[in-house]
Amino acid sequence: MSAPSRLLACIAVLGALHLCVACAGFFAPYDPAAQDRARPYAPPMRPHFVDAQGGFHLLPFFYAQELRAGSFDQYEENRVRAIPVRFFVTGASYHVLGVLPLRIHLFGGGDAPLYLLGSDGYGRDLLSRILVGGQVSLLAGLIGAGLTLSIGLCIGTVAGLLGGWKDEVLMRIAELFLALPWIYLLFAMRAFLPLTVPPLKAFLLVVMVIAAVGWARPARMVRAIVLSARERDFVRAARGFGASDGYLLRRHILPETASVVLTQAAILVPQFVLAEMTLSFLGLGVPEPVPSWGNMLASLQHYNVLVSYWWMYLPAVAMVPFFLGYLVLASLLQADYGTSKMDEALAEI
Amino acid sequence: MTRFFLRRLAHAAFLLLGVSVLAFLFSTLAPGNYFDDMRLNPQISAEQLSALRAAYGVDQPFALRYARWAGAVSRGDLGFSFAYNAPVGPLLWTRARNTLLLTGTATTLVWMLALPLGVWSAERLGRPADVALSWATAVFLIVPDLTLALGLLVLAVRSGWLPTGGLVSVGFDGFSALHRVRDVAWHMVLPVTVLVASALPVLLRHVRAAVAEALQAPFLRAAEGLGISRRRLLYRYVLPAAAHPLIALFGFSLGTLLSASLLVEVVMSWPGLGPFLLEAILARDLYVVIGGVLLSTLFLVAGSFMADLLLYWADPRIRAKASRP
Amino acid sequence: MEPLIQVENLVKRHVGRGLGGHRADFTAVDSVSFSILPRTTLALVGESGSGKSSLALCLACLERVTAGRIWFEGRDLAALEEKELRAVRPKLQIVFQDPANSLNPRWTVGEIVAEPLLVQGRTSKRDRGARAAQVLERVGMASEYWERKPRELSGGQRQRVAIARALILEPRLLILDEVLSALDCSIQAKIANLLVELQRLYGLAYLFITHDLKMAGHLADEIVVMSEGKIVEQGAAEKILRSPRHSETRSLVGASPLEPETTGPVQEL
Repeated sequence: MSAPSRLLACIAVLGALHLCVACAGFFAPYDPAAQDRARPYAPPMRPHFVDAQGGFHLLPFFYAQELRAGSFDQYEENRVRAIPVRFFVTGASYHVLGVLPLRIHLFGGGDAPLYLLGSDGYGRDLLSRILVGGQVSLLAGLIGAGLTLSIGLCIGTVAGLLGGWKDEVLMRIAELFLALPWIYLLFAMRAFLPLTVPPLKAFLLVVMVIAAVGWARPARMVRAIVLSARERDFVRAARGFGASDGYLLRRHILPETASVVLTQAAILVPQFVLAEMTLSFLGLGVPEPVPSWGNMLASLQHYNVLVSYWWMYLPAVAMVPFFLGYLVLASLLQADYGTSKMDEALAEI
Repeated sequence: MTRFFLRRLAHAAFLLLGVSVLAFLFSTLAPGNYFDDMRLNPQISAEQLSALRAAYGVDQPFALRYARWAGAVSRGDLGFSFAYNAPVGPLLWTRARNTLLLTGTATTLVWMLALPLGVWSAERLGRPADVALSWATAVFLIVPDLTLALGLLVLAVRSGWLPTGGLVSVGFDGFSALHRVRDVAWHMVLPVTVLVASALPVLLRHVRAAVAEALQAPFLRAAEGLGISRRRLLYRYVLPAAAHPLIALFGFSLGTLLSASLLVEVVMSWPGLGPFLLEAILARDLYVVIGGVLLSTLFLVAGSFMADLLLYWADPRIRAKASRP
Repeated sequence: MEPLIQVENLVKRHVGRGLGGHRADFTAVDSVSFSILPRTTLALVGESGSGKSSLALCLACLERVTAGRIWFEGRDLAALEEKELRAVRPKLQIVFQDPANSLNPRWTVGEIVAEPLLVQGRTSKRDRGARAAQVLERVGMASEYWERKPRELSGGQRQRVAIARALILEPRLLILDEVLSALDCSIQAKIANLLVELQRLYGLAYLFITHDLKMAGHLADEIVVMSEGKIVEQGAAEKILRSPRHSETRSLVGASPLEPETTGPVQEL
């Protein structure tokens, strides 16, 4: 496959993944906050193709799970109550992009409990929570990366253009931010902000903290590019026709930074998603009941959950395809923009 | 030589100073603090609270507080922990030792793997063996450390092969010296594995790139012509030529590992700085948080400083430049 | 005849740091004076490091002079503010040595050549295209190249584009900073002849900077030899080539591959 079509294919796949998460309400069979107190920690359901009468079904069906009598976490299948998978069912209400209210879901069990990936301690469907939780985590990563790159672009450009002591000061500050192991910096910043905040505020806080931590590296890279672009003869020539600094910046210098900014975006988004997950996992991020991949994993810190309810681990796996997508994207971008391997290596430092 | 040494030392000191100011700055910008939360506690009277506040100098201006704190730190006093009601220093130090143990081991291991593998791949650049290795390590790139740590933990729990956390087993005090070492090592397997796995892919790629670039140097062909053996060539000539980016990489790897270790320690219940810092954050224990952040920066800066010294020793070009009057 | 441009005691000093941190100023151009008559070519010859390029940048007003004057159309360019310079700039254009560096690799040939008009902001898009097409044809670039990017062109073609770009504002003086040095020998001759033709066509004056004394002899009416920032010899081209006096000139003559010939069109291979 040629380079541009490889890139497009990668973007298409990533886009599809993001679409699933963006339309989580549609793809999720249940409301992520709906609790089923009768089925806490239900395990993932087993698909069946052959029914009790021996008839074969192309589309798998499931048996409802009930708690075994006398047990509090052992389930058995209720062979009397079969749940077929139905498509385009009406279910809980959700909002597309927070605006448009809809009730149609891709698939579902209707009123029956079709918890494909099991349920958590409150009996909430894990699949639905994973999909909706992805919205929070991915959004945090995307917005955080966008913010950080904007800050880095501004500061790097200013430093590269101004030069002199202003440049020195900015770069020393950047070095300071890079000197700290980033998680410690993240924690330090988060530590000094209010601990218990409502979910929306917490989300914004997390995004801002993540963005504030990560600007230093992109800033340095942008500055290097601006410095070298300034010295190019075509910039000199443009000055020779009477071009203003603003024109030079817009038409010649900033376009040079595009490749760096894009590659950094592909690298930073998964890192920031991970940062949000880490913060939420440790209780410093988005709080319950809003699901995020991070806080869904927090229950694994309890030994009994770790031992008995392995499906609670699944949110950690959910982000792997995204990571893969971004990784491939980053390496394709780096290959296309043809910097030498050494430049890449040094640039990342 | 001493000038180089002093310059790097000054640089390190500057970084530490800057970080401490930054950390202190964050703390002053913070809305609310430990004492505000305490106000909600009916058992503490208003007078007690104001006395405590005065004792800790909470209401004084930023510069004054920072100066007092900086002065104390330079004397080795890292402040007082509100939650533990004890000096911060010793509290941090025991935890820091454990973090160093973990991170140090992981760093050593990861470099012991990355260097030979990197050289090996660089020699076979682009060939099937190299590509296969890239793909194999890419698995760890894709799987983030949180996922890996939790996953291994789940496996360990279900299989019962490895201890699921902590530093030592029950009855540690009764063990013989050798048994103790084995016990700690056994507990280190899981966290170190996660750390190494998370850092190896990136490091490997960078080592490979650096060595590949160094392999293209013309002086190598000349050296080959002299009949120097391949291994000697690689390790005595190529590697030093690639030393500069690699040593910069060392500082970088230390930073990533220290960051990763925070999470791994929490997940695996390893009693290092990580869980302690987290606890302090949740308890709003100001001086512990600042102290912890500072300590981790100290480790990173110290590590980079050692790397700079190593570079000085390894790369004759730097030595020549530094010794010119 | 009134000189088109007159340089008076031009000094360019670079502020720098030597080893050990003390200030070490470097004088690139040390009190240089010369003048160029309209429609003539002055060749500035010297080894690398002799200060030729610094001088070129000063004349093109891309670097501030440390001292001295540049008289052009009755005004001292060195004393003008940027605002005032803007009106003068179109009349003094510079072509750089390495077209790989002087042409933005992301732009097409057409865009590159039209850029000066875009920057000056006085013409419409259609007029810009028309003017660019006109000047590109004059330098010998067929229309099929106008949508291409620089990397698709050969060195000689790129330099033609650079020259076209410099001409589009209808300058009176063209500063040619080692424009042939990066080209193959056979291409050098072609471009040199193109320059001669353009000079005739547009009535341009050239400041031709080079280290190749032979080429200077072919193209220039007058030669100025520079060494370490100072002028060491100047005079009519033929005279310099036939009887060089300064040691620097003599070594430059010696460095030229063939016997110096009379001025005129260069022999194309």
